[in-house]
Amino acid sequence: MKTKIKEAKAQIIRHQRIGADSFRLRLRCPEIARLAQPGQFIMLRISEQSDPFLRRPFSFSRVFPPGEKKKMTEEDGILEICYKVVGRGTSLMTRLKEGQQIHILGPLGNGFWAAEGRKQAILIGGGIGIAPLIPWAEKLRRGLGRNRASRNLNEQSAVIVIIGGESREKILGVKEFQKLDMEPLISTEDGSLGIPGMATDLLERELMTRGHASIALYACGPMPMLAKVAQIADQFDLPCQVLLEARMACGMGACLGCAVKVREEDSLKISQPPADAAEEKILFTSAFAGDAIGASSESFVPDVSQPPAFRYARACKEGPVFESREIIWE
Amino acid sequence: MKSADHPKEGPSLAVELGALKLRNPVIAASGTFGYGEEYASLIPLRSLGGIVTKGLSLEPRRGNPPPRLAETPSGMLNAIGLENVGLEKFILEKWPFLRKASCPVIVNIFGNTIEEYAELARRLADVEGIAGLEVNISCPNLKAGGAIFASEPRTVHKVVAKIRRATSSFLMVKLSPNVSDISEIAQAAEAGGADAVSLINTLIGMAIDLKKRTPLLGNITGGLSGPAIKPVGLRMVWQVAQTVHIPIVGMGGIVTAEDALEYLIAGATAVQVGSAHFIDPRAGLKIIDGIQRYLQANNFPDVASLVGSLKIKKDTGQPT
Repeated sequence: MKTKIKEAKAQIIRHQRIGADSFRLRLRCPEIARLAQPGQFIMLRISEQSDPFLRRPFSFSRVFPPGEKKKMTEEDGILEICYKVVGRGTSLMTRLKEGQQIHILGPLGNGFWAAEGRKQAILIGGGIGIAPLIPWAEKLRRGLGRNRASRNLNEQSAVIVIIGGESREKILGVKEFQKLDMEPLISTEDGSLGIPGMATDLLERELMTRGHASIALYACGPMPMLAKVAQIADQFDLPCQVLLEARMACGMGACLGCAVKVREEDSLKISQPPADAAEEKILFTSAFAGDAIGASSESFVPDVSQPPAFRYARACKEGPVFESREIIWE
Repeated sequence: MKSADHPKEGPSLAVELGALKLRNPVIAASGTFGYGEEYASLIPLRSLGGIVTKGLSLEPRRGNPPPRLAETPSGMLNAIGLENVGLEKFILEKWPFLRKASCPVIVNIFGNTIEEYAELARRLADVEGIAGLEVNISCPNLKAGGAIFASEPRTVHKVVAKIRRATSSFLMVKLSPNVSDISEIAQAAEAGGADAVSLINTLIGMAIDLKKRTPLLGNITGGLSGPAIKPVGLRMVWQVAQTVHIPIVGMGGIVTAEDALEYLIAGATAVQVGSAHFIDPRAGLKIIDGIQRYLQANNFPDVASLVGSLKIKKDTGQPT
């Protein structure tokens, strides 16, 4: 997928604290807002000085493309990102002032895509990881609403949102989803809000109680959570997209810094092709029936007894959204 | 405002690295500019003096386990592990685009043995349109127990001479700063038949995560680049300029035109811009503009007359 990338100046419209250690930046940047898709990201330059040296990657938490009509409303051409203070760069970011101009590069990477033939979506976010799922929920809902044959179906059932965090203060995005007429399910590890436990427990419970034939999963959050979501997706045989976080330098695929361990393409279909004549037959099967049969055919189940063939993918270019079964979780 | 697209007005920015002519002295450094196509949608590649491609080996390389990056004060560490597509895929998939970049493209190569270097040089000599080779000698010599090629003058001479016999292309040797005497190494490269030397490659460093007490890099150590290393690069370029007669391409922490000008004055005929392109894709173009403005403001007829123009009083400048 070829996307246009712009290097642009953005004006900070609003800079707000949204949690104990989390903030939201609202930026005016019509050039990038016009192109931005949920799941994509920008590289933001924190300082014009050489320290901190690198830009930082942030996924969009809202996108308001410029309106097609002549008159611009206040929300036209606006982008939002959310960040959590984790180090020197993000703590310096808290000093950014409203009205200030900053350099951003984007939109970068591949965003979420609608899983084919799935009528329901479960979005699951941990901590600040919920942020990029907000615009995706919005878009999915619009898309699902349009495609649906029956008008009587309850709209709320199309997108289910699960938010998890350590405690009440770490639960973000609830209001944003409510504004979109979605009531998120909440879990906290300390039980201070919602159901006590992990977000992934809630996910499992939802999948057990609901029929899960037509569900697709979309997740963003800490790596252990994503690994668990991926495992659940495998268990229930559901398509699952995960948005990964990685340290990046360029954000454009040049530096090869943001490596993510993924299965070699071929090993997705055939984990270990036998080295005899059967190989040809299996290749034939995979080419002509693979997509239709999918995981129901035994030859497509990954062989877990042997380490899969792997390569390093660039999170910035091939991601940051990956299919969970592509990733080698370690 | 002047644009790098019109270098003809004002002082000439053209430089010569031996037989290789560049329209300006600003080259995108290997490993920071991918295979050119990554940046092509953001900047006109033809405005650059040249591009050096990501280090290329005979076989594809997977690279190091992540994390591969760590930010450090005014700089960054990287341990990519020389990941690259390998010669065959480079020629088939990367070269067709680069060939049309309308700026000189120098291919950076490395090998595990002297023979591999020569083989790469030989096979790339058949590829039409390549402006030259940059030889990365900062990798382990598998046949010599893993000692780094760059660290021993005799080995450097040997590998350069072998490549020289394999190709008539422009040949530039990229020097490692992780040596006790870089001048000796530069001389060995010159004696081996190099047309130019480029320096410095990254300085080996490391960083530690205090919470976990683990290295920040998957590979434990990595190469330091960025503004933090500029004084070291500058010193080494100046030292090497005193000892070799071939052109020097200076690099290490160049972010602004001022940084580049310092390198030129220290004795570099051209410069390479590396990590700066990560934080600003237009860094190279801005540097070209800035050099032009400096030449104009200081009445230099061309960039060549600035090269090596460092003024040193007689009683100073000795090694301390």
